[in-house]
Parts: sequence; structure tokens; C-alpha cells
Amino acid sequence: MKLEIGNFVVKEVAFGAKTGFADGVFTVCKEEALAEVLKDEHITEAELHIVKPGDEVRLCPVKEALEIRCRVSGAPGNHPGVTSGLQSAATGRVHTLSGAALLVVGKHWGSFQDGILDMGGPFQRDTIYGFLKNLVLVADTDEEFERHEQQKKNHALRWAGMRLAEFLGNTLAGLTPDSVDTYELDAVNRRCAAAMGLPSVVYVMQPQTQMEAMGYNTLIYGWDGNHMLPTCMHPNEILGGAVISGSFMPCSSKISTYEFQNNPTIKRLMKEHGKTLNFLGVIMSNLNVVMEQKLRSAIMVAQIAKNLGADGAIVAEEGYGNPDVDYIQVIVELENAGVKTVGISNECTGRDGKSQALVALDPKADALVSTGNVSELLRMPPMKTVLGELDALQRDGLSGGWAGCVAADGSCVIENNAMFCSDHPSGYSVKRCFEF
Amino acid sequence: MCNLVNIARTVGSNRIVPTFAVPYPLGNPQASAEEQWKMRMHRVERAVQALQTDVQEQTLFAVER
Amino acid sequence: MKKKAVHYLNQFFGQVGGEDMADFEPVLHDGALGCSNIFNGVAKNVEITHTLICGDNFVASHPEEAVERCLKFLEGKSFDLFIAGPAFKAGRYGNACGLVGKAVSEKFRVPVISSMNVENPGVELFRKDIYIFKGGARATTMKPDIEAMAAFADKIAADQRLLPAAMEGYFGRGIRHQVFLADLGLEPVPACDRAVDMLLAKLNGAPFETELPIPAQDLVAIAPAIKDIRKAKIALVSSGGIVPSDNPDRIESCSATRWGKYDIAALERFPAGEYKTIHAGYDPAVANQNPNVVVPLDAIRELQKQGVLGEVDDYFYTTVGTGTTQGEAARMGQEISAVLHARGVEGVILTAT
Repeated sequence: MKLEIGNFVVKEVAFGAKTGFADGVFTVCKEEALAEVLKDEHITEAELHIVKPGDEVRLCPVKEALEIRCRVSGAPGNHPGVTSGLQSAATGRVHTLSGAALLVVGKHWGSFQDGILDMGGPFQRDTIYGFLKNLVLVADTDEEFERHEQQKKNHALRWAGMRLAEFLGNTLAGLTPDSVDTYELDAVNRRCAAAMGLPSVVYVMQPQTQMEAMGYNTLIYGWDGNHMLPTCMHPNEILGGAVISGSFMPCSSKISTYEFQNNPTIKRLMKEHGKTLNFLGVIMSNLNVVMEQKLRSAIMVAQIAKNLGADGAIVAEEGYGNPDVDYIQVIVELENAGVKTVGISNECTGRDGKSQALVALDPKADALVSTGNVSELLRMPPMKTVLGELDALQRDGLSGGWAGCVAADGSCVIENNAMFCSDHPSGYSVKRCFEF
Repeated sequence: MCNLVNIARTVGSNRIVPTFAVPYPLGNPQASAEEQWKMRMHRVERAVQALQTDVQEQTLFAVER
Repeated sequence: MKKKAVHYLNQFFGQVGGEDMADFEPVLHDGALGCSNIFNGVAKNVEITHTLICGDNFVASHPEEAVERCLKFLEGKSFDLFIAGPAFKAGRYGNACGLVGKAVSEKFRVPVISSMNVENPGVELFRKDIYIFKGGARATTMKPDIEAMAAFADKIAADQRLLPAAMEGYFGRGIRHQVFLADLGLEPVPACDRAVDMLLAKLNGAPFETELPIPAQDLVAIAPAIKDIRKAKIALVSSGGIVPSDNPDRIESCSATRWGKYDIAALERFPAGEYKTIHAGYDPAVANQNPNVVVPLDAIRELQKQGVLGEVDDYFYTTVGTGTTQGEAARMGQEISAVLHARGVEGVILTAT
């Protein structure tokens, strides 16, 4: 299966009369874009902004990040089974704005899974979005049923993001990209001798799927990840848009849709394929709330890995707390099956750093990559501009925020928990925990 | 008595009786009141037995389904 | 202005005498002495102004008195740091540095820096309480060991960024914080590349280093079985957040620091409405309909009626186990155990969510 991703390298995002990409500038016709957003009658207010690295701008509550892209061939849309009809996302061609993202921010209301991010100042570097040129959709909805709930589905805003990213991305369809990345893997038993002679590796993903109620979890081709057993997927399906981020996870642990579309661990494994390893593919697992469910998924992951002939595995967990049980169990089952395994997750060591890093541990998990401490205390100076509503951080139950954490001057104290996707278990994190 | 027995092991518990689920350790909204009572009694009885049992290492006391 | 430090030494390095003087009682000496002079020779921002000397055997045989007398000497003295040792592989000296150092750190809230050899039992006993640098086995490494302590003291005095334990050279204190790799002068390799590189090393039998070492399991001593449970008193304890509906002790819904003890002597079961869960970490619907699914009072009363067990404690004990730090959980557990012991409870059914 072959997926081509054509990149349009963005030097600047600007507003203008006509939406389109030329000479490194992506121009957005604001009226046209807002009209597209407001096609959903549940969106009551919407505004667009442009922010770039170094701007003294704080965004809160940030709900989602997406890549501005379109489908040129293959699947009928960016997210088959969600925003378009169902077809495999693994083949065909995608055109994408490289170096830019669409960020979706609540105009007023936040929820447990929402976060904060800065485009400049000392915390710019805490998320990859601080280094991208971002179009920011700030909007409100009429979803009264969840207005004051700590857990929000954020359906209208998340879907508005997907629609807008695709609407704008469609202007790239007929253009010639600056570069094209080709992702291609033959069937696991039809590979060249050179690849077959290398150690075989799978990538195990544990996206957040712990809500029993529907509408909050990661979707795979539109299917709620809570309702599935682990399955084997082609890496191109992930890069091609088959997975969209949910609306449940404490924010620093979250993997945004942008990070599924660009998953850097998959990209590195694809690059190594045929050189240092034989990349067998992705095992899409999930996270559960009952021990037996956790164990069932772990056993099935190990079974799939073993049957594919995996020698090694990388496991990534989107979450912390009891999901650590799922994470460690998968690692243990893989090691028991003779699959050498490395894990990627954040830690929760408390503000004082003294708590046990993961709630479950096992000596078989002897190769772990750490991406940050959920409960690290961060003191953020004020920013000149706030997009959204900073009060949401202390009012609406954002993980990592609390009543009184925002000062009158706009400075705030948070736990890293509230920093949007900052632990990047997808693989971007350039921080880790160390013992002191 | 807990559902996530791996956490109980990690924190060093010595006598562990599994429970049904995190939000309802000794209940099950899918089952009748009578079935729930039977399950709760059975698991608490196992806990009482565990208290009377000498163990040499961390021990999981199996329960009926 | 240099910061001031007090240096703790045993009888030998305090130039009192050898093994025959090991019972020497504590004294405070004005100014530097012996190896303190090495420290003062290399430290740029810190100066040892006093030396505290005590015999190793005196500390070993009268630990409380020794610590108390040492602390007494320091009262009213102005100092910013406390240096102890180096103790090399000398077990009693390491123990004394640790005991006195820990007490000084707790009482005066100043950084305490020691140095011991990895085989010194003082390392495992006190590494979580004070900075213990990785030192040599014998006094032949006195100079480099003191230089390492002095360099670190200089950094603290100058308020410089302190690096992780492994980079500074002390034994990790079990404290883990997040750091950007770039802040340590390390290549900012993203997690995906660190993971793939680690996996390739693991697959190829090359050395690799986990970023999260699994600590040795913290096992609890196994309580003996209850001999005759028909005569025993059993208590119900839970971290599932069941409380009287008005939550009289204001136990927190997450990151709990409080626990409650509530009278159940007159209850056959927890009536819905009068008891509920305040735990924010799970869906409360089922537990609120019937709190007995979290704390099985109805079932334990039935067993009591059947004569299976002797007595149920008149109170149940409760807190919330979500986001609760280990330190708080351990403290609450100790406090609850003390009450249980005082009430003659022999066995506990602890339900967790």
C-alpha cells in the first residue's frame, strides 16, 4: 500500500480576499472560512486569528489541533467514517500545509481535556504548536447539555475543526507541492530479502478510550475505540487520517488529531524500514477501565505481535493513572511472548516529584522512554493577548487548573497536566523526567 | 479488595481479592439485585477467608465469576 | 560574601583520636579543621566557619541524644549549608553523617551534602534525605570527594541550576522532575527517536539505559493469619470515597489529604441518599444508588449474623484514592492503623476503586 503526502511549506499564514497557497504564503479568506464553520447551526459564534512562533499570545481552552490538508486521491475525505464516506485511508494522495496547524479554542467554556498553550515566552517550547504557524478558530456553541459539565464531548467544535481544515486544505488539491513523502510497505510476508533479514518491529498504540459513554473517545474510522479489540493496522491508515483524537484525556497526555496525522514515531519507523529494521505495522489497541478488559487487550496485542513475527515493539500510552496498568500489562505480555519492547509514556510523580512514576510497575518494563511529569508545577507569566477565555482554566475543571490559579494580571500557576498535549506521547517530546 | 489487582501488587498488598469493576467493586448494574448480592457475599467471604489464611508471598485469592 | 557552612566530622577526621576515642561526645569547634581546610581551599562561594565533631560509637549507641546535642550546638548559629563527611566506606561514620544530616536538614531547612562509598550502608538509609555524593572506599580519595562536595555547594550558594543526580554525581533521592534535554546541554532528541534508538540497541544486544528505572518493589511485611476469626473484630476501610452525604470532614474529591471515621454501629447497610461517594475518579452513579457496592457493610453484617466472624468495628474509615500522593496515602494509612490498633481491630477489609 502506498500513500503520498505532498507538502506545501508554509512561511506565512495571512488573511486575504481569496483562500489559497502561493509562494509560501497561505492566504485565508476569513468570511468564506467563517461561513463554512457556521454551516453547523450549533456553532453560535466564531472568529479566526493567526498566531506565529514568538507572538506573546496565550490560547485557552485549546480543544484540538489539526493539519490543514486535503485528499487528492484514495479516501473521499480527510477522515473517512467521520467527515466523509468510508474507504481505506492507507492509499492515495494527501496534500498538506507543512509547518502550520489549525487550533480550535473555546470562546468561553473549557473542559477536563482542554489545555493552555503559549506562542511566545518561556513556555512556548512546551508544545510543538508553539513552533507552528497557526490559524486559530475561536468559537462558541449551543451545547447547553454539557455547558457546565467537567467532561465535554466538544462535538460541534471538534467537527468544525475537521470541516474547516478540509475546506481550506481543498485549495491545495490542484497545486504542485514543494516535496512529496511516499510511505509504502509491502504485505508482511511479501517483503524483499533485505528487509526480511532485519529485526521485525511493531508499533503498539494505546489511544484514550476509557469513557463508557459514547462521544468522548478516540475514533478509528469513526468507530469508538472503547468498542473494539486490538487490531492490526497499516501505518498509512494513521498518517492518512483514519484516527481522530477524543475528548477525554487530561490535556498534557493527549494526542491531538494533528499528532495522529503526523505521528513522528511512525515516520521514524518508516524511515528505518529496510535499513535497520523491518517495520511490520501498527497494532491499534485501547485503554480500558476493568482489569479483565485490560488483560484481554494486552493478551491480544501480544498474540498479534507474535503472529506477525515481531522481534521488537514500541508501545505508546495516551494517558496516566490507571491506564498505566494497560501500558505495563501490554509490555509484560509482549516480553513474555519474547518480543523485546520499549515503552513511551509520561509520568506522574507529584509536584514534589516523590510519588511513584506509574501506578503499575514491573521489572520486565526495562526500556522506558519518559516524556514529562503530569504534575510538574509551572508558573506562567502573563501574555499580551489571550485568545479564548483564561478564566476557563480555573472555572471549568481543566486538568491541571484550579480555582485561584489565574491571577488578575493574567499570570497563572498550573500543573503541566493543563498544557496542551505537552507530553506528546506521540513522540515529539524533547523533555523527560530525571531523578534528583 | 480491588479490581486493578496489578496496582495492589505494585503497592505491596499481600492478600488480594479481585472485585468486579472500578466504579462498582462489589456490584454490577447489568445484573439483578439477587445476582449482585450473591456476588458481593461470595467475594467478601473470600476476603474473610483470606484473613484466616497464612501466606508466604503476595497472594491473589481467586473468585468465581 | 561567601555563604557559611558547618562541617560534621567524626572523632578521627576531627583530629580527636582513633577507635579508642569513638565514644567522644559532640563538640562544636570554631573555624575549619583538618579536611575542612581542603574544602575551604577549593570552594569559591562557601566557607566552613564551624566544625561539629562527634564519635561514631557515641552516635551509634545514643542516636537520639547525639542528634539532640548536635542540634543544640547549632541553635542561634548562622549557616547556609551543612557538610557531613566524606564517610567513604565507614559504616558507622556514614550512619552518623546521615542521622545528624537528616536532623539538621529538617530542623534548619538548609541543604545537607555528604559523600559516601556505594557500599556504605548509610547510602541506602539516608539517600532520600540528604545529598550523598558517590565517594571512594578509603580516605585516599579525600581530595576528589571533598572537591565534588565543594563544587556542588558552590552551585547551591550561587543559586545555579542543579542538574539531575546522575550528572551531579550524587545518589538519586527518589525525586523525579521533568527537564528539557536542552537545559542540560543535551541533544534535544525527541521521544520517538529515543524510543527507536533504544529498541534497536535492545534488539541488537547493545547497551541501553531506560529513562524510568523500575524501583525495587516496596513490599509490606505479611501479617499473620487471624487464628480464630469468630472471635476477631474486623473493620471496613475504603479509598472509594463513601461518606455521609454532607461530607462532614470535607474530604477532598481528588488529591485527598483527609480521611474520615464514621459510626456504623446502628446500620445494617448503607442507605442510599444518606451516604454517597465524593470520589472524582470514577462514575459515581452506581455507588450512589447503593454505597454497599463500594463498602460492603450489608455483606459483612450478614457474615456477622451467620457467626462467621466475631465483631464488626463500630466505625468505618474512608478517604479518596484518586490523585492522592503516595506520601499522603502512607500518612493516612498510618493514622488509620493507629486508631484500628487502639480499638483492638485484628483484620481489615480494604476496598479500593
